[in-house]
Amino acid sequence: MADAHTHPQPTFLEQLGRATVDAVEEFGYYFLLFVESIYWLIAGPFRHQPVRPPSIAAQMMTIGVAAIPIVFILSFTIGIMLAIQGIHTLKTFGAEQQVVTGIALSVTREFGALITAIVVAGRSGSALAARIGTMQVSQEIDALRVMSINPVRYLSSPVLAAMLVMLPSLTYLADLSGLLGGAVFTNLELGLSYNAYIDRTLDALVVDDVMQGLNKSLVFGVIITVIGISNGFQVTGGAEGVGRATTRSVVLSISYIVVADMMFTYFLNR
Amino acid sequence: MNASAAQPVIEVNELVAHYGSRKILDRINMQVESGEIMIIMGGSGSGKSTLLRHLLGLNRPTSGHIRVLGVDITRAPAHTVHALRKRMGVAFQGGALFSSLTVGENIKLPLREHARLDEATMNIMTRLKLEVVNLAGFENLMPAQLSGGMIKRAAVARAIIMDPKLLFFDEPSAGLDPVVSAELDELILRLRDAMGMTIVVVTHELDSAFKIADRITVLDHGRILMTGTVDEVRGCDNTRVQDLLNRRPRDEEIDADEYMQRLTEG
Amino acid sequence: MSYRVRDDSGYAVVELTGEVDLSCSPEARSAILSCLKDTRNVLVDLSRVTYIDSSGVASLVEGYQTAKKKKLKFGLVGVSGAALNVLKLARLDKVFPIHDTVAARVKADG
Repeated sequence: MADAHTHPQPTFLEQLGRATVDAVEEFGYYFLLFVESIYWLIAGPFRHQPVRPPSIAAQMMTIGVAAIPIVFILSFTIGIMLAIQGIHTLKTFGAEQQVVTGIALSVTREFGALITAIVVAGRSGSALAARIGTMQVSQEIDALRVMSINPVRYLSSPVLAAMLVMLPSLTYLADLSGLLGGAVFTNLELGLSYNAYIDRTLDALVVDDVMQGLNKSLVFGVIITVIGISNGFQVTGGAEGVGRATTRSVVLSISYIVVADMMFTYFLNR
Repeated sequence: MNASAAQPVIEVNELVAHYGSRKILDRINMQVESGEIMIIMGGSGSGKSTLLRHLLGLNRPTSGHIRVLGVDITRAPAHTVHALRKRMGVAFQGGALFSSLTVGENIKLPLREHARLDEATMNIMTRLKLEVVNLAGFENLMPAQLSGGMIKRAAVARAIIMDPKLLFFDEPSAGLDPVVSAELDELILRLRDAMGMTIVVVTHELDSAFKIADRITVLDHGRILMTGTVDEVRGCDNTRVQDLLNRRPRDEEIDADEYMQRLTEG
Repeated sequence: MSYRVRDDSGYAVVELTGEVDLSCSPEARSAILSCLKDTRNVLVDLSRVTYIDSSGVASLVEGYQTAKKKKLKFGLVGVSGAALNVLKLARLDKVFPIHDTVAARVKADG
């Protein structure tokens, strides 16, 4: 700000440099928040400042259990959509029976985890940023600090723990309902029986396919947590700031999720 | 503990603080003695809130030292500050009650986190504090169901749940009607007398300041104008102090060059 | 803090000494409650207490309430200075039966 006097119009390079520094700084913040949240989960009990199981359970309810219907419906729909597209594409080769393999692989390796993460980012990532941002504005975070209650331990660690359990669980559910969606459509369109569908799916899948999706979901869980919470902690400027942080955390976490997904997929499939 | 009674509870030395590149506090020196009620007074923008945040260890100063209950909070390790904070309480301006917890759970939270007591003992302690602040029977309500004055009193109950030696109030009377704010002043005096607490109040309210203060520190533009008893402050002939006391708008000399520069270049 | 329980004129007298604070009030609490559990009348002697915080006072309150439920006698003796101020703040000085000494209490019992 101060050197705005000397250079009223920052050059493009200057802006680029500053943006880069900001981005690195923010990434560092995310990383530290992650490390500290994990630290309290492990070391808290030894320092007589444990992360309370009831607050983890409460988070598991809001993040996980409450998201079951929407995750189920969306993945079911994705399963149907994959079946439609698959049959349409494969028809040109006369290989529409192969659609089962396509659905099985893309749901478990890709879409189950991705859809779940996007739903949770939209539901819980935004809620986290809003809740913590509001607490920041109303000095509740300061109150925690002066009461010697570490805000990361009290607010972030329970969310991270809940996220690391619930996101893989939801992803597993999404896998099943996606496959179910595919089964229903192939049954109607190609007359393939459910038993045959299950047999072919099991033939096509190996444990690693499912694990790939579940492993990704762990990473997505960390992304949603740290981005939602960091943006909440960094809120300044009242209600408007809370709104900004909420939007920002959803957009950022979905972007990070998609990019991380791409990198994951690239490295896991070489 | 008795040894520290002789030395000041709070000692601020040459404290300088910046917000970005703007200087907010300029070479602050002050002391708060054990058992006294010290009022930090100033208009908005005087730096009094920033000073409070530094006294609480929420902000790090550019330079200078702050000793609270014998601990230099500007350089003490985290666990020392952690222990220190169990011996102080803070009632924030807006109450800062946790909106997801009941009033009772809010007040109990420090006990739950720091003490290993029986649930029955914690419940009785919580109700005792609610009695002290005249909120008996409100423990199962949510903060959103309370009025402004009740929220502040609940915040006081939470601040004193651990029986702190040192209590901070941020703008206790802001946004309250005169009767409620007088009750709060009364409460502050009672706490000091009964528990022997040292109390620091940050406020811009003159009436309540003069009523409860042992000493007043007047802050203006990040500097201490004066520190003294109520009578000393009233009798002070510094024009800025008198402006504040008589609620006169500030009438500053204008430096033409600087003013033009501010207008044209920002 | 330390404590001692002695018998005096039909009462179990719990003598507390030193500072009764968060770290040791559970001890005082269990001493008082265990006497009441043995259906003994209890007096808590606070004359050697230099400081008592609200967790200590809460233990006294719990003792008094337990005694009432069991129809046992309960009271405080030797309340002074710091302890009295803390009781007064919560208006408990008007609630607890308070006497100067055990003898005074026994005399008051008639």
